[in-house]
Amino acid sequence: MKTALARLGLLAALVLAWEGAARAGSPLLYVPPSSALPALRDLLLLRSYPDLPSHLLLTVREIAIAYALSVGAGLAVGFALGLYRTVGRAYGPILAALYAVPSVVWYPSLMLFFGLDAASKIAFGFLLGFFPITLAVLAGIRQVNPQLVTVARAFGARPLTIFLKVLVPGMLFTLVGGLRTGLALSVIGVIVGEVLGSKAGMGALINHAYGLLRTADYVALVVLTLAVIAASDVAASLLERRAQRWTE
Amino acid sequence: MKAGTPRIVLIQVVSLGLALVTWEGLARAGWVDPLFVPAPSAVARSFGSMAGLALGGLADTLGKTAVAYVLAVVLGVAAGVAIGSARALNDVLHPFVVALYGIPKILVLPWIVLLLGYGTAPAVAYGALHGFFPVMVIVIGAVRDVDRTLITVARAFGARPWQLYLKVVLPAIVPSVIAAMRLGLVFCLLGVLVVEMFAGIRGMGYVMSSLANAFRAPELFAATGLVSIASIAIVLALDALNERLSRWR
Repeated sequence: MKTALARLGLLAALVLAWEGAARAGSPLLYVPPSSALPALRDLLLLRSYPDLPSHLLLTVREIAIAYALSVGAGLAVGFALGLYRTVGRAYGPILAALYAVPSVVWYPSLMLFFGLDAASKIAFGFLLGFFPITLAVLAGIRQVNPQLVTVARAFGARPLTIFLKVLVPGMLFTLVGGLRTGLALSVIGVIVGEVLGSKAGMGALINHAYGLLRTADYVALVVLTLAVIAASDVAASLLERRAQRWTE
Repeated sequence: MKAGTPRIVLIQVVSLGLALVTWEGLARAGWVDPLFVPAPSAVARSFGSMAGLALGGLADTLGKTAVAYVLAVVLGVAAGVAIGSARALNDVLHPFVVALYGIPKILVLPWIVLLLGYGTAPAVAYGALHGFFPVMVIVIGAVRDVDRTLITVARAFGARPWQLYLKVVLPAIVPSVIAAMRLGLVFCLLGVLVVEMFAGIRGMGYVMSSLANAFRAPELFAATGLVSIASIAIVLALDALNERLSRWR
């Protein structure tokens, strides 16, 4: 209770400090909450950007496709590397080395190859989401007690049964954690791609507002984008909690 | 990364070689458009023509990254120790830390560029911001995980607060700090590259995005390879250092 009050107090103090500091500075650079809120209202009422819904929808669609691809490929590669020892030992280190490269290095090549439209954003979101999912599968497989697999095999379980009844439940917690991280990174990938160069989507609108020094609109767009991201993360955390309860 | 057995290394070398040969073959046979996917031989040739440009850009980028990295690690560790060791502070700040850590920093990049202009300053600021949060979050966790009995015993023996930090807390969190430093480096480099692509006038990110905009694919692939090799080498060097440190401890 006391902590909650202190949090609220801190939040209020931060908002007030921002308001005070922003009013003292140039309105082109600093946006106080008192002008961010009207800008947000205008944005939501489609006054400042009448075609907002189509841009928002495009971003959400790019994220959905990128994430679906990274889940599919991440699970496939993760299980291939984790279940076949030689494959894992040969290609695991190569994958780990690629993971040490700052991901944005790949973006110019993707933009050259896929162009400025949605495909390059989907490709980048896919690339970012793919690694944590693959790595989570690998970590999860290592967690499963090998004796369980031996016992199941001794009782005549088929490979598919072992996979579904022993392996997946044993690693579910780690797997779901990786899926959640993958979603967060797919989202970041798509948005980074849009901000670095695009013709449509939330990133393009953000760049437009920033480029024209419509700073209040820029802040409103950022707040809206953050709300979408937060919603996706809340949904993912609910699923995670569900999986957690199931494994206990 | 552990060095594999000869058989594993053989598989790795053969598959990388096969991939290169296949790629070269596809490009020569015209199955992929060399405008977008140049053959490995063309990429290798372009290394010579752009080495000066690329190495200059890389040096510029790594210089900015170094400054951003020092800022991120020093501030991140300091904030992490401060927040982690005061229980009430940690409880109050927790949601703020999680929220700030979680939001995609790219959304504030346009504002940073508005404030600081083009060039070096926004790259350093954004790189440091990018690296700061992961370092801080790891250090907070590490400080919270320090064995309580160690602290109680040290207090019982009359350790002063500064002795407590220097002799108990700091040594206990060293492994986490090193892990945080490894992660922070990749984050800082990523941040600097993003700014250079978004609002750069120099540096590797700027070089790469100009090459992409000019459709100079061989040079772009060569530059991408160069940055990748550099960052893998830096991370491997940090790992080696880490291993040596842990053996010494």
